[in-house]
Amino acid sequence: MRNFLVTGLVAVLACAGAFGVFYVMNGNRALHRAAREGDALAWLRAEFNPSPAQFRAIEKLHESYAVECGNHCAAIMQARQQAAPADQVAALEKTCVDAMTAHFRRVAELMPAGQGERYLATVLPRVAGYQHDAAPTLRATP
Amino acid sequence: MNSPETFDTLARVMRAWRLQPPRNPEFRAGVWQRLRAGQPLSWAGYVRAHAAPVAATLALAVAVGALTGREQARARVAAERAELAASYVKALDARSMVMP
Repeated sequence: MRNFLVTGLVAVLACAGAFGVFYVMNGNRALHRAAREGDALAWLRAEFNPSPAQFRAIEKLHESYAVECGNHCAAIMQARQQAAPADQVAALEKTCVDAMTAHFRRVAELMPAGQGERYLATVLPRVAGYQHDAAPTLRATP
Repeated sequence: MNSPETFDTLARVMRAWRLQPPRNPEFRAGVWQRLRAGQPLSWAGYVRAHAAPVAATLALAVAVGALTGREQARARVAAERAELAASYVKALDARSMVMP
């Protein structure tokens, strides 16, 4: 009976060891860190592996777009607060979404070969759910 | 009682005596079994005695652990990737962008 239990314990330890090894091997440490720190730019770097120069260029593009996006969002919020006609709000939103899509395409052009398409395939479907109700920040978590 | 004739008779009997025990193929195994019954078997001995089921159990445990670990890691990566991608897109809804 004792030997049976020892064998069971060894099996459990082997199972746990295999779990740990394969969990670490199939994980993505950079992605975990980005998620833990809520850093979307770190995700961009971990996910699409741009060179340092490409990443700096992407960062600058985001900084410049932040100003443009801020203007769009302010206009949309103001129109909503003033209960502007729905078509006016929709037009402002469309302008914002178009600008955002163009921004993503510019970012994709700065990505390494092959990664730009993957980046667009990741972000563009999410633009459809774009809402002007969130606090603006490049932190993934508020 | 211990006369030379008695010894001669005994010697004759002993010379004529032939022991022919029946062959027992299980003799050695029986000896080991009796020896083991007398003392607790070590784990190494237990593993040797049950090599096939123990090996199968360990292989199954490693396989289950490896598959579960891989799937858990992939699920976590997929969930974090989706969360970060959604946050990244949402973060570009910016009126006062805070760049790190």
